[in-house]
Amino acid sequence: MQTLSWQAVYVVLLRELKRYWRAKARIVSSVVQSVFFLAIFGLGLGGLIGGIGDISYLSYLAPGIIGMSLLFASVFSGVSVIFDRQFGFMKEMLVAPVSRTSIILGRIFGGAVTASLQGIMIMIVAGFMGAFEPSLALALGAVAAVGVMFLITSGFVGLGVAIGSSLNDFHAFQLLSTFVIWPIFMLSGVFFPIDTVPAPLQIVMLANPLFHGVELLRWCLLGVGTPLLGPFGWMINLGVLAVFNVLMIILGAFLFSRAQV
Amino acid sequence: MGSISIIEVKGLSKVFKGKIRAVNRISFNVKEGEILGFLGPNGAGKTTTLNMLSTLLRPSEGAAKVNGFDIEQEPDAVRRSIGYVFQEPTLDLQLTGRENLDFHGRLYHLKKEDRKRRIEEMLQLVQLTDRADDLVKTYSGGMKRRLEIARGLLHHPKVLFLDEPTLGLDPQTRHSIWDHIQRLNKERRITIILTTHYTEEADFLCGRILIIDSGEIVALDTPEKLKAKLEGDVVILVIRNPTMVLRARSLFEEKKWVRRVDVFSRENTETSPDLKMEKMHRMRGVSRIGGMMGEMGSGEGGSIRKQKPKRHEDIPEMEIDDGNRRKDLGSKQLNLLVDNGSHRIPEIVKLSEAAGITLESVELHKPTLDDVFLSVTGRNIREEKGSFVEMARRHHILQQARGKRGVG
Repeated sequence: MQTLSWQAVYVVLLRELKRYWRAKARIVSSVVQSVFFLAIFGLGLGGLIGGIGDISYLSYLAPGIIGMSLLFASVFSGVSVIFDRQFGFMKEMLVAPVSRTSIILGRIFGGAVTASLQGIMIMIVAGFMGAFEPSLALALGAVAAVGVMFLITSGFVGLGVAIGSSLNDFHAFQLLSTFVIWPIFMLSGVFFPIDTVPAPLQIVMLANPLFHGVELLRWCLLGVGTPLLGPFGWMINLGVLAVFNVLMIILGAFLFSRAQV
Repeated sequence: MGSISIIEVKGLSKVFKGKIRAVNRISFNVKEGEILGFLGPNGAGKTTTLNMLSTLLRPSEGAAKVNGFDIEQEPDAVRRSIGYVFQEPTLDLQLTGRENLDFHGRLYHLKKEDRKRRIEEMLQLVQLTDRADDLVKTYSGGMKRRLEIARGLLHHPKVLFLDEPTLGLDPQTRHSIWDHIQRLNKERRITIILTTHYTEEADFLCGRILIIDSGEIVALDTPEKLKAKLEGDVVILVIRNPTMVLRARSLFEEKKWVRRVDVFSRENTETSPDLKMEKMHRMRGVSRIGGMMGEMGSGEGGSIRKQKPKRHEDIPEMEIDDGNRRKDLGSKQLNLLVDNGSHRIPEIVKLSEAAGITLESVELHKPTLDDVFLSVTGRNIREEKGSFVEMARRHHILQQARGKRGVG
């Protein structure tokens, strides 16, 4: 009963992909939204600021906007276990001869894959908008960035599942969105570098897993990191992100397994 | 076949939160190939029992074997042996019918070839082949139900659990689901356990009926034998005036030839609109002497048809006995269980007149499972006992506690 069934993980993941692919309006709108962010902030604020360090503001912004999209897509995907419960499909999964862990891992990885797909689309669009300098390093960096995206998203789907398993209805999600998800987004260094804010806020940002995710994406795609963490800052970013990822998956799986049907 | 027990239940109990006994030491066997119906009102413990047998809930006491496997020791083997069609819909509406089945087949580790063949076979069985590739959200209620039955059968289970299979369906759909259930049982020899609070459904489908009330088994037999135990006929007197009801009650309780007297408010015994047609079918053989005893002046008409039908029998009209009094203003009915009912009617009418009791109408029918339920539990199946507040509280706690601990 408690053994992990990879077949079950795969089936649940497959369902996530199918459902994602079927909601084309959602895919289009989230990509277009990111393009708006890039175009309007990149051109508007970019015209005002010029650039950050050696790079243009549009380039600086692009990894952050990818991170934003990853955050929202993955948390929402995780929280939607509420809908599975509400629409009863959860019971169909829970009465099958497979462990709850298999089901939730499928759910988390499925959510991570779909959210990452969205991140990849935005990365490509941003590339066409001229955010990244074409080079061999960029090609390798983009591949690495996909790995980073998966790390970010699986962690945040885990968080979403943890939230969704503890909440009884979707209305409470509004509160969480305001008090948890938006602060995570605003303080992840999407719009401004960490070294421009006062020290107390820097500490908060350093504790934010998405900050490390965005920094890591920036390092992959632009080859730059924040001077605050030094030249090997990416290792710190990766370490924090990995720990966050594992913790969230465990937390999500744990809370899911003891949630009521 | 027929004599082998496929399910053996011994002293099974479920206690929620250490105090609410949803199921209390029940024991029974289910023979291979039979249709067994759990009949009882909401909150009687039907779903809780199914959830224990399907290993979704851990029993508090007792033991059970399904298809020879112990529900606590070998949950995976039990789960493979059963198909469970839940009371509420559990389909993924964003997937097609075929994809829902495919998901299930993979989750139950069916090999690719077997899965493909089995999906086609099951789609055909429930006549959904031509709609198989449409999204489930475009299906009607009956189609969804059929798809769920197909899904429950996909992994070659020995036993199918159907929890309230026709709840909320219209009469035609209900009959078509009944046909499907019967065919499954006859042609494929699938053992079926279903729960219902429709006596008509239990009567029509089940080889044996287990009447469950407040977590205990109060009767277990074939519908015919259950009804035969109630010898005689049921004579129903409809009376509007509440004081006359009480007078009539004491009047008939004294008579030796009246074996039992029960009083109901008229609305409670009214069946929901979707069951009405069946009820009318059954009533064709029933003699109705409606209205002729009514006072000419009353004019409001006392026959059932004119009464406002209750929409939800799940939330019965209730008398709140504390706080705000909301007394039932409709007519009352007296059910008399008597020998040789048709010959007693003139006497009943004469006695009533002599006692100054105004009868709105008199009905006569053979005992149905409703009457059986009444005689073994002391109340109507559509009536809940206790005050509304108390019942709502109990229901709420049960709902909460029920899902709390699943055995994932």
